[in-house]
Amino acid sequence: MKKTKSVLKYILLVLLTVIFLFPLIYMLASSFMQSSEIENILNFSNETFKSVDLIPNMFSLEQFYKVFFRRPEYLLKFWNSVIITFPTVIMQVVFSSLAAFAFAKLKFPFRDKLFFIYIVLLILPLQVTLVPNYIVLDKLNILNSFMSVILPGTFSAFGICLLRQSIKYISYSSIEAARIDGASYLKIFTRIIVPQIKGGLVTLTLLTFIDSWSAVEQPMIYFSDKGMYPLSITLADIADSDYGVIFACGVMFMIPPLLIYLYGENDIRSPFTSSDKL
Amino acid sequence: MTYKSKESIVAILFLLPSFIGVTVFYIIPYIICFIESLFTGGQFVGLGNYIDLFSNYSFTLALKNTAIFTLTAIPLLMVISFLIALFLNSFKKLSSFFRSALLIPVVIPVASLIVVWQVFFEDYGAVNGLLNVVGLESIEFFNSPFSMVMIIIIFVWKYCGFCVILFTAGLANIPDAYVESARLDGANAFTIVTRIKIPNIVPTIFFVFLMELIYSFKIYREVFALFGDYPNEHVYFMQNFVNNNYYNLNYPRLSAASIILSVFIIAILLVFFKFERKRSHLE
Repeated sequence: MKKTKSVLKYILLVLLTVIFLFPLIYMLASSFMQSSEIENILNFSNETFKSVDLIPNMFSLEQFYKVFFRRPEYLLKFWNSVIITFPTVIMQVVFSSLAAFAFAKLKFPFRDKLFFIYIVLLILPLQVTLVPNYIVLDKLNILNSFMSVILPGTFSAFGICLLRQSIKYISYSSIEAARIDGASYLKIFTRIIVPQIKGGLVTLTLLTFIDSWSAVEQPMIYFSDKGMYPLSITLADIADSDYGVIFACGVMFMIPPLLIYLYGENDIRSPFTSSDKL
Repeated sequence: MTYKSKESIVAILFLLPSFIGVTVFYIIPYIICFIESLFTGGQFVGLGNYIDLFSNYSFTLALKNTAIFTLTAIPLLMVISFLIALFLNSFKKLSSFFRSALLIPVVIPVASLIVVWQVFFEDYGAVNGLLNVVGLESIEFFNSPFSMVMIIIIFVWKYCGFCVILFTAGLANIPDAYVESARLDGANAFTIVTRIKIPNIVPTIFFVFLMELIYSFKIYREVFALFGDYPNEHVYFMQNFVNNNYYNLNYPRLSAASIILSVFIIAILLVFFKFERKRSHLE
């Protein structure tokens, strides 16, 4: 009885894992197929049901070859994505952690009220902020430049909330002890807080990266020059025009976030505790 | 200088960079936006733009769809991810591989996955193939009320792992003694979950809800990737309305729509914070 139960549990576990991993495996498998095979998969008008093949009929690097050597515009779009994403991530992590420290551990008048206003303003979805932002960016004269996507993207409720939650778990006693020893607040921040919220910082870096990496709305509205569009927008178009390279492009596009994830994996699994409590 | 006022000054310095950003990119725009929403072509119309919006078919449709999505997807996601977190916790030893796999969906950019969803959900896609084998009728995922179902499935699939991680972190902070003593008192597994575990992770539940609310507004990316600029009426969300009005450059209408949406969200948040305040007083 007990044994069947644990076997069932493991079957369920494997099933769950397959559900979560499947699209990734499928993308990878298909990116090594030949054009003809991919065109066959993506031809939705021949009235036969798709079967999901994980093993290419003929293993080929044709798609990757095309993306890298024959169609340089995709690499250009990829570079646009890089230009937008890296500054956004770095600035957001720095600003969010500074503000989160103030909100979590320092006492000042109107702290909770200010926090509420922050959250309200920053949680408002892009749907709402795009319009007002457009007006200000227009006045600042930075529309149609990468800055117009980078600067507003730097400030997020998400980052402050996440890091505030992480910092809350650090005990006051260590901060108090440092203060009695005469450490400045900046020192407390860099020497005590930052090392202990590594999990939170890595999680934020990854999630901000993905968010900004897949930005669609802002570039579409703020850039009038389509040459500046990041790959995230173009990929949706490629689906209509050039079937063959879609999988290879998709794979290329997901490599950077996957690398960050694999690098910080252990920290991400414990965003709120510095020790390995899970 | 007193100790207290020094701490306040330090706090202000720490907040300054983000405060400047928030002022320039959020507070000022809002004020401009609000003022714009009261005018049409330079003429003061008061609440005229607002009233017009509510009689506009595409706006009410977008509002309705956005509400349906938020109200079904978030509770569904919370329940599923909490159950998975409990399930994973029930293993004494678990290879970290399984937990890593959970986060893969969140890591893969939307744009990379479009083709996969198409192969799955097209009229002759894999899902319909499966339904036909079982003897059921095909579902037109791209052109029927099932479009919404498909978007909700994708949303839950995508963020489930992240929420599981957050819940697991919350559950790990419950002292083992609580669960142990309840078990000794003869409580069954269900009672332990509802009476001990859930009340003890209320702060985590709030936090997860907040995160999901933020994420639920980002679903437009999937909608855009799958349906383009003009999706069918079942998945016509607020963002579609805003985007399409950009091309007409109808600022007053856009501004009024933004303000209305903000009011809705602020109302949800106020309730939310009231609850949280109450809970933290109890603890």
